[in-house]
Amino acid sequence: MENQKNELLARYKCRQMILTLLPLAALIVLFAVLCITVQSKGYRLDMYLKIIFNESVVLAVVATGATFIYTLGSFDISLGASTLFSAACGVMAYNATGSMAVMLLVLFAVAVGCSLASSVLASVFGVPVFVTTVAMMSVLSAVSAQIITTNGGALGGISIPSEVVKPFDVIWFKVLVLAVFVAVCIFLFDFTRVGRRQKFLGGNPVCAKLTGINLNKYAIIAFVMAGIGVGIGAFLTLVYTPSVTTGTASSIGMNIIVAIVFGGMPISGGPRSRIYAALVGGFSYIMLNNILKILIDTNAGYGISQVVSAVFFLAVVYLTGLNYRSQLLPR
Amino acid sequence: MKKLRKLVSLTLVLALAVCMLAGCGSIAGSSTPAADAGTGSTAADNTDTPADSGKTVKIGVLVADVSGEEALGFADYYKNYITSNYNVEFSYTEQLADAAAEKAAIEKFAAQGFDAIISFSASDRATQIETCSANGLYYAVASGMLDDEQYEQYKNDEYFVGQIGPSMDTEYEAGYAMGKYFADQGVKSIAMYGAFIPNPMHVYRAAGVLAGIGATYGGASDKDAIVGQIFGDQGIDLSKVGAGSVEVVGYFQGFGDTTFDELFGCIGSQPEAFLSVGMATTFFTDILNENGIAFSDIDSFTSANGTAMSEGKLVYLAGKYSSSVGPIFAAVMNAVNGTPVRNEDGSALSISQNYLVATDAASFDKYASADKGDSPIFNKEILDGIIGEVSAADFIACVEADRG
Repeated sequence: MENQKNELLARYKCRQMILTLLPLAALIVLFAVLCITVQSKGYRLDMYLKIIFNESVVLAVVATGATFIYTLGSFDISLGASTLFSAACGVMAYNATGSMAVMLLVLFAVAVGCSLASSVLASVFGVPVFVTTVAMMSVLSAVSAQIITTNGGALGGISIPSEVVKPFDVIWFKVLVLAVFVAVCIFLFDFTRVGRRQKFLGGNPVCAKLTGINLNKYAIIAFVMAGIGVGIGAFLTLVYTPSVTTGTASSIGMNIIVAIVFGGMPISGGPRSRIYAALVGGFSYIMLNNILKILIDTNAGYGISQVVSAVFFLAVVYLTGLNYRSQLLPR
Repeated sequence: MKKLRKLVSLTLVLALAVCMLAGCGSIAGSSTPAADAGTGSTAADNTDTPADSGKTVKIGVLVADVSGEEALGFADYYKNYITSNYNVEFSYTEQLADAAAEKAAIEKFAAQGFDAIISFSASDRATQIETCSANGLYYAVASGMLDDEQYEQYKNDEYFVGQIGPSMDTEYEAGYAMGKYFADQGVKSIAMYGAFIPNPMHVYRAAGVLAGIGATYGGASDKDAIVGQIFGDQGIDLSKVGAGSVEVVGYFQGFGDTTFDELFGCIGSQPEAFLSVGMATTFFTDILNENGIAFSDIDSFTSANGTAMSEGKLVYLAGKYSSSVGPIFAAVMNAVNGTPVRNEDGSALSISQNYLVATDAASFDKYASADKGDSPIFNKEILDGIIGEVSAADFIACVEADRG
C-alpha cells in the first residue's frame, strides 16, 4: 500500500516536472525552428536573432515586473499605457532639460507613480485592482495622446535626438539590463519572504490574511516592481526608437498576458507562479510570431499569422492547464 | 528536487541567451546586396546592379493602413500593374502600429536581402531613414512628406531616394479649395467632419477648410496659427470659430459609439452642406444621401465614390489616384539600378503632388477612367521615360505635369 502511494506520488511529481519544463522546452524548440526556417529561406540569421531580441526585450522586462501583480491574482491591463505615458514624460523631460539623468528620473518616477496610483485607488475605493487599471489605461492613453499631439505637431510624435540613446542601442547593454532586472526579481520572488507571501496571498487570500499577512503592503511591493519594469521598458523603447507616438507600446498590455501564459504560469497567480515565466513566454511568443510571419506570406492575407498564433495560444493554455487542474494541493 | 529544477531551468535560459548572443555576433552565409551594405559597403560601391544582372529588384513596403480604399488602390497598382511590367517584387508589411514596428520591419527586410523600402507609414520617418541607411537599403516616402526640418537633416543621405506626395501645405490647400468652393457656391451654413484629428494631415485640411470659408479660429486667420490651435485643442472648438459668410453649425470627429448620434445632431442643425476632411465617403455616404445633404470629402477615385457622385449627394471630391505612387517607384528603381536621380546639389528629390478635384460625375469619370488597373495614369510608357538616365529637372517635370 505504502509502495503504491510512493509510486503514485513519484509519477505525479514526474508529470509535474515535465509540465513545468514544457514552456522551456517549447522555447528551445521554437528557437530551433526559427533558426532552421531563417536559414532555409536564405535570410540572415544573425540579423533575425538581433531583431527578435529587440522585439522581445521590452515585453520580457515589463512582463517580468508584472508577474508580481499576477502572482497576487490581480490583473493590470494599463501597463502598455503606463509605458507610453512614461516614455512621453521622459521625452518631454529630456527636451526641457537636455539631461539624460533627469529623463531617467522622470521616466521611473512616472512609471512607479502610475503603477502605485492603480493600487492606491483600488484600496481607497475598495474595488478590484483590475477595475482601476482599466480606468488608468483610458486616462493615461488620453493624457499621452494630448502630450504627443500637442507637442508633436505635424510630425505626429515627439522625440529626442537619436544620438542621445544610440550608445545604448546595443545588444550587450540590453542583455545586461534584462539580466540584472530578472536577477533582482528572481531573488525577491524566490529567495525572500516577499515572494512566498505573495504566492500565498494569490493562492488563498483569506488564509493569508488570517495568518497576519498584510495584503496592502505586498500589493504595493508588487505594483512598485511592476512600475520599475515599466520604467525600464519605457527606457528600452526609447533606446530602440527615440520617438513616441500614440501607438507606442500599444500592444504590450495584451502581450504580457500571452507571455505569462506561454511561460506556463496560471493567470490566477498563487503558488504556481514563476518569475521566469514572463521571460520564457515573452521570447517564445515573439519567436512564434516571427516564424509564422516568415512562413505565411503577408501578401496572402493579413492577420493569418495572428489566427494561427491564437490557436497556438489556446493549445498552450490547455497543456499548461493540465498542470493545475489536479485535485491535489500545489506542492 | 525543486532546486534541481530551478538549476536546470536557469541553465537552459543561460544557454539560450548565449546561443542568441553568439548568433548576433556572427555573419550568416547568405550574401545579398543589402546584407553586404549592412556590413560596411556604401551605395556607390554597389556596382553590380540588378539591371546589370537581371536580378529581381525586391522592394519592401511599409504600411500603417491595410484596409482603406486608397491604400488598397496603391497596393493593387504595385502588386499587379508594376510587377507585371517590371522585374520587381513587392512585399507589404502588416499594419504597423508604431515606430518600433517600423524599425523592426525595415531590419527584417534587410535580413531578407531586400534592395529598397517604400514607406506609407509615418510614425517616425527619421528613424526609418536612419535604419535604412544603417542597413544599406534605399528609402523613399510615398504619398506623403517629411517635415521640412527632417528633410533638411536627411536630404543628403545617399540612401534617401526622395519623397513624392502631398506636403502639409498641399493638404492645407486641398482643404482651402474645398471650403472656398462651397463659399463661392453661396452656401451659408455647413457642418464639418474632422476625421481623425489630431492626425496632422487632417489638422491641416481642417485648417484649410476654415480659411477657405472665410472663417477665423481663435481670432486667427493665418495657416500656422489655426493649425497650432487645432493641434492644441485636439479638434475644432466651435466657440472659437469666427464665421465669415459661411456659418459652421455642427462639428464632430473620430469614429466610435457616438459617431452616428453626432452625425444626426449635425443633420438636425440643417446645414446646407457637409464638409469632411477624410473618410466621410466610407462612413456616412448612405445617411447623407438619404437626408439630401450635399457633401464633400478628400479621399480617392474609387468606384463607391463614383456612385456617390453620380447617384448621390457627393458634390466635391479631392482625390489621389492609385498610380500617383508610380514616380516614387521609378525613383527607387533608378537608385537600385545605380542611376539615382538627385537634385543639382546632390540632395534627395522632394516633389509635392496635388490632388485632382472632381465636382461632378463627368470630371470624376475622367479621372477614374484614366487611372484604371490596366491603364493607369502613370503607365509603363510614362514611367519608362523617367527610369534610367534622367535628370532631376526632367523627372520633376514629368511628375508635376498636369495629369488631369
